[in-house]
Amino acid sequence: MQLSTVQPVFKLELNHKVTPDVVTIAKYDGTHPCLTASAGYDKIIIHHPHGGIASGRAQRSQAHGEVSELNLSQAIIALAAGPLRPDSGRDMLLIGSPTQILAYDVHDNTDLFFKEAPDGVNVIITGYFGKYTETLAIIGGNSSVQAVNWEGNEVFWNVVSGKVCAMITFDFDKDGENELLIGCDDSFIRVLKNNQFIAEIAETGPILCLSPVNEVRFAYGLANGTIGIYEEGIRLWRVKSKQNALALQWSGETLACCWSNGRVDWREGTTGIVLRRIQMRANAAAMLLADYRSVGAPDLVCVSDKGEVLGYPPYQENTGFNTASKNMPSEEDRLAITELFNQKQALMVELQHYEANAASGSASVESLERPASAMPTNTRLQVAILHTADEGNIHLAVSTNNDTIVRAALVLAEGIFENGETLVRHPLPSQLRSLLHVPLKPPRDVPVDVHIKALIGYPDSEQFHIFELTKQLPRFAMYQLINKEIRNKGNSYVTFRITERVQRICIWINQNFLLEEELDLETEETKELHINLLCLRDHSFLCMDFGPDGHVKFSTHDIRLAGDLIQSLAVYLNLSDLQNLH
Amino acid sequence: MDQKFAVGDKNGVLQCLSIKDEEPVVQFKTLPGKPITSVHLACAMGTQADKIFTASGNEVKGYTRKGKVFLSIETALTETITSMCIIGSDLILCSGRTVTYYRDLREYNSYVCDDRVLDIAAFANTRIRLLVLVANKGAVLLENGKLISRTVISSGPSRLAVPPSTHVTDIVAFYGAGDGSIGIISYEELTLSSKCLVDGRGLGSVVCLGWYFSNGNYHLSVGRHDGSIQLYLMDMEHFGEKPRLKYTYFCGEPVTSVTGGCVGTEESELLVATFSGRVFALRSSHLVTGAKVPQDILTARRGKLEVEVARLEKQTANEREKYQRNTRSLHAGLSTPPLLDIQYELLGALSDGWQEVRITSAVPLDMLFIYCSKKLEMQTDTAAVLSICSSKETGSDLLASVRCQAGTRRVWVKMRDSSDSPTESKFEGKRVLIYALPVGAPRVARLVTLKLPALPYYSGHVATEKNFENPERVWCQLEIAGSFSVAEMTSWLTEALPGELPRPASNVSFTRSHTLLETVLICQYQRGSATFKSDNVSTIATIRNIVSNCSVEKSIRVEISCDIPDSCCLRSFKNLESKFKAEYQKNKDIILKKAISMLDLDSSMNEEGPLLCQDYARVWDSRDSINETQFDELVETVVQWYSDWRALSVHENYSNVTSKLRSALTECRLDDVCKILSSNSSSLKEY
Repeated sequence: MQLSTVQPVFKLELNHKVTPDVVTIAKYDGTHPCLTASAGYDKIIIHHPHGGIASGRAQRSQAHGEVSELNLSQAIIALAAGPLRPDSGRDMLLIGSPTQILAYDVHDNTDLFFKEAPDGVNVIITGYFGKYTETLAIIGGNSSVQAVNWEGNEVFWNVVSGKVCAMITFDFDKDGENELLIGCDDSFIRVLKNNQFIAEIAETGPILCLSPVNEVRFAYGLANGTIGIYEEGIRLWRVKSKQNALALQWSGETLACCWSNGRVDWREGTTGIVLRRIQMRANAAAMLLADYRSVGAPDLVCVSDKGEVLGYPPYQENTGFNTASKNMPSEEDRLAITELFNQKQALMVELQHYEANAASGSASVESLERPASAMPTNTRLQVAILHTADEGNIHLAVSTNNDTIVRAALVLAEGIFENGETLVRHPLPSQLRSLLHVPLKPPRDVPVDVHIKALIGYPDSEQFHIFELTKQLPRFAMYQLINKEIRNKGNSYVTFRITERVQRICIWINQNFLLEEELDLETEETKELHINLLCLRDHSFLCMDFGPDGHVKFSTHDIRLAGDLIQSLAVYLNLSDLQNLH
Repeated sequence: MDQKFAVGDKNGVLQCLSIKDEEPVVQFKTLPGKPITSVHLACAMGTQADKIFTASGNEVKGYTRKGKVFLSIETALTETITSMCIIGSDLILCSGRTVTYYRDLREYNSYVCDDRVLDIAAFANTRIRLLVLVANKGAVLLENGKLISRTVISSGPSRLAVPPSTHVTDIVAFYGAGDGSIGIISYEELTLSSKCLVDGRGLGSVVCLGWYFSNGNYHLSVGRHDGSIQLYLMDMEHFGEKPRLKYTYFCGEPVTSVTGGCVGTEESELLVATFSGRVFALRSSHLVTGAKVPQDILTARRGKLEVEVARLEKQTANEREKYQRNTRSLHAGLSTPPLLDIQYELLGALSDGWQEVRITSAVPLDMLFIYCSKKLEMQTDTAAVLSICSSKETGSDLLASVRCQAGTRRVWVKMRDSSDSPTESKFEGKRVLIYALPVGAPRVARLVTLKLPALPYYSGHVATEKNFENPERVWCQLEIAGSFSVAEMTSWLTEALPGELPRPASNVSFTRSHTLLETVLICQYQRGSATFKSDNVSTIATIRNIVSNCSVEKSIRVEISCDIPDSCCLRSFKNLESKFKAEYQKNKDIILKKAISMLDLDSSMNEEGPLLCQDYARVWDSRDSINETQFDELVETVVQWYSDWRALSVHENYSNVTSKLRSALTECRLDDVCKILSSNSSSLKEY
């Protein structure tokens, strides 16, 4: 798509470099927003177009009259601001250095508090959630989150199983209270409520940004270039780019996305279709929502790493790029005609392809002269998934039903390959068969959609037929059912009690495990179930015993697996509380 | 005046069309046949040009303006006619390497060029003289089947355009070249000479040229492979003047033909045909709004097209279903979809070593899947995402996928030898398999097989004569004798050299130059014997390896003998010395630049910039221009020269000398380098 010619409503230069992602906008005097950013290692700049900051630690910048500089003696990792003091509507500036947090009242030039953060500081946000009624400073560290109030006292603390990369407060379960959404570098978005994780959304890459959209939707961006929107925990759409999203903001009923290369696009909320896009002159440093012009509605404020600031009003349809065509209906017709011609051409090419088939339909399969692109019309592709315990992985067995060969297989899936999203098998000419094994080794237990593109033909073909298939790997695909009696060494297990018929549990197992044949209970009266599984990753054993009295025991040495199993079972059985026995 | 236009296509159909209210009206249309390779308008002397001539295969046909065939000849030419020229009742055809002249449909004379003929222009006054572009050789001027003059043009011209209004006696034509440049060829004072007028500078290679006349000015219109169409204003009084670029348009796919005319309106237009079969016209921009087509006609036309597309969609859906049903039937027929229309081209390496593959498809591409048995470095278009896929087995092969943006029809991929395996001996070229997968139907993937030559840098074409007398160069020579044919030798050399080699003839001779080192390779071969000369000992060593390897594969006995002068390494190094020094300096600058960048100097953004000593300031000021250096490559080259020389003439290798040489090179101790290189085998003991 062409770049939009939409012009910013305001534009200014800070004459300072800006560190990407360490930018905030705050009303230090309670009314006028000031852009605040890190300009290099330990320097903070504050832009105050509405009248200066009187004095104090901030010094007037030589490079720009409306900018004050604040020097700290430590590297600045994160900036945030919010009305922390319950007795004042003024925003306090929160400055995160690698191991400390400083809360600073810019207007009064006083330190609010100073707090050590031994777990490191990655993200700071301000907001309120759960039962807490006051605005808190929430700090995401390397493996934990903690919240402090305006006096610097810790209000809560919890462990997170990864480095925290993004956080928002958001009413996830629609109970009128905010929950804390935490995006981590282990590719999960977790929802924290009352100091408990109530939901976990598996994504395909480290989560870089989260942004609320409305009461039920929030947007996310990943380190692999994906952005998307969730609605009530279900993904509405996602798109992927070569760039990483730096910031997402909901502005004017569209999702504005700022990419690290300085491109900003506005997307339709329910589909992700790009409505317009602009390109900044340098790489992007931040995109925030603020009423910087004091007009009563927030503008989108885009900041480049060279210090250029551009303001865009909320998206309106008639400011889009296609205003020209509105004036000239004939131009619209011309565009439509060109598009129709393209469609016509594509259809003609496809028709030609079928016509050629019809023409050669009479040729027999046995004929010696086989054209370079021919193959029997009733060729079909079959895909099976097998466990291979000795290799410690699972295999996709891709095969055809006749003498054609699988020239290559491309497997596209997210989050299960070490690098990238594609695994390709291209056998040597001497190893071409009608069956091809593709090894897969999902590193974690999440359900994965696997798309397979197989190129089918003959060894000497110049053109191959593409067969496409999608398979879903169940969540616990890496566990193979074994029949022999086993006992785990070490007595690690988890037990609990549920009141559920084994029949339903049987369905859960069939859905979540990869079994050669469906698990079936012998009789209707069966009350208990014992199954033994082998983990292909480390060849450890997993025993699941469902006793007749509702007593359940999962024996495994892997605490994470035990947790995942319980989580999955609980979601399936719709349980919210579970009595843990040991 | 309402003009009509004629288009010949790959299916062999010639259509003559006119435009009414922006809608094409078919005047006549022929039946399909062999691909039409050339369309020409001509006439009897003095009348209006209204006869259409087409060439397809080895046939030439003539049509009247009504579409009646008045001429049809099947020539005795063995190769496809690539271009033609008609003057009165004289017909000049080019096919393969030959230019054949027919007078009154009888062969009058012919001339065989050194390489493929690319384009031809005829100049008729008292005598008819032909200007011929020959692949890799430049241009020649022919008269009566005899060569009267020739010139070498290194940029690889591929198309000619004769200025529409010249003095009868002038022989002058503009050319467009493979590297994107535009120049002029003229014949003055009995010599043919050429001059480059517009540099290529990264523009796509020129595919076609045409003339566009507007406001009393002549514009040269240039259609390029990258989809751009440009108009250059030409000074018709002074052809040698630099043309002025007036206009550029991107159409997104290779342009196959451009010509000026006025088919749609009274105003002049530029007609364009593209690779995928689109024909459209460009008009001067202030006229687009002016030329009003009634709204209702446009709407009607849109409606008509919509109906047609809907009908086609239905038909396609039917056929698609029938096809699907077939896959389930027990009686297997054969599915034989036509080959996807994909064009590809592998370019020789420039000085940075990257070899570019350009792939053009008539249907949008979804992805490319690339396989090579050896590791390669790769790059691709900004419109595509390259990912190197993990391959389990051996780890020595390369699997990569290139996923394209929606609507991509052209994509390039650059490849070069992986830098972690720099100087292994090369015995053959690398075979690269590229599978091109289209987005929609037909669901077939076309396999494109490429061969990356072992000596990719030898892509420069130079005249042979010039380099023999150069006293600066000292020649290593390789003589091969055996019972091989010229065709066999040519196929062996495709393993080594990039680009197209001359067609086999009884006696082949050509010269290539190295784009980075500027060394030269002279190849001369005929049936049973071949001679290769180069001032680069590694080149000779590689060719020797390849020839011996290939001949063993074909079980042909060959005798190979080398003549390697003792001083070859030293002399070659002397020729390289200034470049080596420059790259050494550049390498140092880059290291310095990295160090300075880490200081984060521009964060202060002082107006006068950071305070640095002179040397550092120079590096800092030019920080954007110094990016890449070939220093490491040059070091490896010189080390390779040395070890190849030892291997070929002394038959032993002292690894400690090699490492000494390498350290002397990396530290740029040139005296030591020369000492090592000049030492003959007896004095080596000292090191």
